Amino acid sequence: MSTDVMTRRITDASPRLQARITGVLSLLTILTGVFAQGFVSNRLVVDGDAVATATNILAHRGLFQWGFAVYLIEMACNIAMTALFYDLLKPAGRSVSLVAAFLGLAGCVIKTFSRVFFIVPLFVLGGAHFLSVFSTGQLQALALLSFKVNDRGAQMALVFFGFYALLTGYLIIRSTFLPRILGVLSVVGGLGWLSFLYLPLGHRTFPYVAVFALLGAAALIFWLLVFGVNEQRWKEQARVAGEW
Amino acid sequence: MSTAVMMEPITEASPRLKAKMAGVFYVLAGATYIFGEVFVLGKLVVQQDAAVTANNILMRQPLFRVGFAAAIISVACSIALTALFYDLFRPVNRSLALTAAFFHLVGLAIAAFSSLLQLAPLTVLRGGQYLSVFKVEQLQALSLTFFKLHGQAYNTFLVFFGFYCVLIGYLIFRSTFLPRIIGVLMVFAGLGYLTFLSAPLAHYLYPFNLAIAGPGEISLVGWLLVCGVNEQRWKEQASAAGEWCS
Repeated sequence: MSTDVMTRRITDASPRLQARITGVLSLLTILTGVFAQGFVSNRLVVDGDAVATATNILAHRGLFQWGFAVYLIEMACNIAMTALFYDLLKPAGRSVSLVAAFLGLAGCVIKTFSRVFFIVPLFVLGGAHFLSVFSTGQLQALALLSFKVNDRGAQMALVFFGFYALLTGYLIIRSTFLPRILGVLSVVGGLGWLSFLYLPLGHRTFPYVAVFALLGAAALIFWLLVFGVNEQRWKEQARVAGEW
Repeated sequence: MSTAVMMEPITEASPRLKAKMAGVFYVLAGATYIFGEVFVLGKLVVQQDAAVTANNILMRQPLFRVGFAAAIISVACSIALTALFYDLFRPVNRSLALTAAFFHLVGLAIAAFSSLLQLAPLTVLRGGQYLSVFKVEQLQALSLTFFKLHGQAYNTFLVFFGFYCVLIGYLIFRSTFLPRIIGVLMVFAGLGYLTFLSAPLAHYLYPFNLAIAGPGEISLVGWLLVCGVNEQRWKEQASAAGEWCS
């Protein structure tokens, strides 16, 4: 039995490698998200102008479709990152780490589902015969409306990512193998995202929160990529917690 | 340094504390749900009247938004509860505890999605100029349709919650650290929620199908808050299951 545990452990990646992969996935999540939002959503969708939006989307169908694909890759990276980070932070508190992982997963599900509304404009504007009972203007308005619902869904997911950052930040502070300051940054960023519980407040604070949260995330990613975790201390804390 | 490491075993909360925390999250999830769904939506949404509903929402936007926030907090608290229950019931039957947690997680993802449908009417009604290609009545009807979809999505959640309650009831029954009667009552609660498998059936049995959930859920929450779990027996069952390793 105990040799069985020993051999199983060896197949698991070392905590440092796991930390580096977590960093890579986290970086990919941010890059894909920024790409899809900046180069697809913001470029093609003109707020409040359904006609211009529809024209843009139809003129750049391929790009729009790519935006959808990249959004899904963003979420795939986010889910994988959540699983690895759960494992990594387990020694600092198993239950809290599990709660955090579940909340992060819920955010991923919500955001992924919102992307169904993102792709709706392609169908509505696709010119199918059965849709001809609506006027062109109505279809264009429906397309923009659906896009906005997609945005609301993504903002809703931010609340769950806020809870996630709050709890993982707490775990980083309690851990002996990552610098506490990274945890503090994560907690503050998480609190900021919670402003999206009340959308008008979320919109107002967004520029500050986004900059702050991005800085915190960048610091954490940098640390994970360059230093990983302090392997010695991780193992100590894991053994003390009875996980090793 | 080494003393700091020695202090760390305390990081893992005791089963009793976890049980009490689970009780707190249960209460919070229930209270925010009742506030958001029953109080706010019940007050603003008039089932067959799209125009009145639209007016109510536009006139009382802050209340509407607070109701939405309550719905999200309710889901978040339920997720925390799910993780804690999984930890708590692992010694009883690990795979069943995991199955229960997955049921509830899928249900909660649907519940969260239903909250998006609850917010969409505001996007429709405050849509601004670009939506003027539709008549006001059409937009009002569209937003009421979103509310009805929200209700359907929420009923879907209740079905999964029903499965969850049945499994948790069984786990409580088989556990040595919680009273068996609560397990039996939770199974009945789950059966009540499972009537939402068929909307007409649920409608026909209303409000008895929800009332039957009362004794189980209330006694479970009360017990968790006041007594937590029998820590001694929890550890015994855990060590017998080989889950307790220190």
